[in-house]
Amino acid sequence: MLKILSNALTDIVGGYEQRRVWITLATEDIFDQHRRTTLGPLWLLINYLAFAGTFIFVFNPGPVDQHYAIYVAVGLLVWTYISDNVTQAVNLFQREESFISGTTLPLSVYVMRLTLQNVIRAAYAVLGCFGILLVMGAAPAMAWLWSLVGVLVVLVVSPPMIVVFAFLGVFFPDSQFIVSNLMRVAMFATPVFWVHGGEGGLRGALYDWNPFTYLLDAVRQPIVDGTVPVLALSACLVVGVAFWVLAIFLLGTLRRQVALVL
Amino acid sequence: MISIKANDLRLAYHVREKLTLRPRDKRLPQQTGGTISGSGRHRFVTALDGVSFELEAGDRLGLVGANGAGKTTLLKVLYGIYEPTAGKLDIKGRVDALFNISIGFRQEATGRRNILLRGLINGWTEDQIAARTEEIIEFSELGEFIDMPFRSYSQGMAARLAFAIATTLDPEILLMDEWIGAGDAAFQVKAKQRMDELAERAGIIVLASHSEELLKKTCNKRLELEKGRVKSFG
Repeated sequence: MLKILSNALTDIVGGYEQRRVWITLATEDIFDQHRRTTLGPLWLLINYLAFAGTFIFVFNPGPVDQHYAIYVAVGLLVWTYISDNVTQAVNLFQREESFISGTTLPLSVYVMRLTLQNVIRAAYAVLGCFGILLVMGAAPAMAWLWSLVGVLVVLVVSPPMIVVFAFLGVFFPDSQFIVSNLMRVAMFATPVFWVHGGEGGLRGALYDWNPFTYLLDAVRQPIVDGTVPVLALSACLVVGVAFWVLAIFLLGTLRRQVALVL
Repeated sequence: MISIKANDLRLAYHVREKLTLRPRDKRLPQQTGGTISGSGRHRFVTALDGVSFELEAGDRLGLVGANGAGKTTLLKVLYGIYEPTAGKLDIKGRVDALFNISIGFRQEATGRRNILLRGLINGWTEDQIAARTEEIIEFSELGEFIDMPFRSYSQGMAARLAFAIATTLDPEILLMDEWIGAGDAAFQVKAKQRMDELAERAGIIVLASHSEELLKKTCNKRLELEKGRVKSFG
């Protein structure tokens, strides 16, 4: 057990020590993806606004509901970040194969590279989200500070989540397609754009037993309802600990196998 | 004192059958050679077996052997990518490696920017990179191309840049796989001269190649592998 922990920590500490590598690579990744476009990474902002606008105006016809618009704006921001992390994590090690089989960089470097890429993408979406909040007349309140705690929790859960799905993709290649399909379904099974009014049945079960619900609510609830998301933060803590334990176990036992299995 | 001591190295691994929904793929992984034992779910590849040798400062070792003999696997064990499953490996000195010209190079970035990226991947600090950048540009003979995107480089230009970066910070132990033959004749002369200088500064070079001519020109020791075992060393 100590050996597993030591192996995992060696990788994680190595990833921290090599932070200049993943910070530089992640930044280059984002700008490379938009290098030949006129608007560059601003497309990330436009994509978010187009997506959020579709939900706000198409799924809720009639006069714009301020509360619903804010609900969707924040929910979509968090969902997109989580969904990008999961779907891109499943083939992360395959994409990084030339690095993994040609350098001694710790696996954490690739995990953090992906995490930071998605944080940068989300940062552009945050601008759009603030724009929607402003247009909808949302008044900043002290409770919003709890959203920052929620953001922090989501960020802390991201790296182990990526580790788990990256290992899954290496040892179960079909999972790349299974997970991307499941995430498409999960978007509709998660209260991103539908509101749970306390009813039971399928919708109630999807709300109560879906871990994504709580990741979204940890950030959204303080802004939408002005309340402290105690239940959501508690659930996130459980989810976060579970992912960290699993990620440490996988890193500690299988990290040396990845170069041979790829 | 820079040295490599490999004693009875062995790298054997279980051929993990990946969980998949398609019919079982009976092929073995391509990246390593060696011998196969067992069958079905209990297949093992012994990529290296009983490999022993010692190198001292100034040695330039040529690794030879047929495809799948274990040359690249041994280089990756020496570099730390693969962990030997048995035996003892004692390396004294900072190891740098050149396995793949394009690793760490971004097609859209300029040569100058790529020096920074490749340097970071090699574990250098930004100050170390800045101090050596002009020397790298000079050695690579890229001139004004250094500020052009990497994708505009020929294979020879890419090889010169990769080699210049890998050898400029005085690696104590340099591992190279094959690709040095990619450059033109003039580059190979220059590369050999630099490798001589490195070896004279008490470094160790391990070079895997199929080119007997290149190895004769470059190396003072030779290790021949066959199916993961040492056939000859001296």
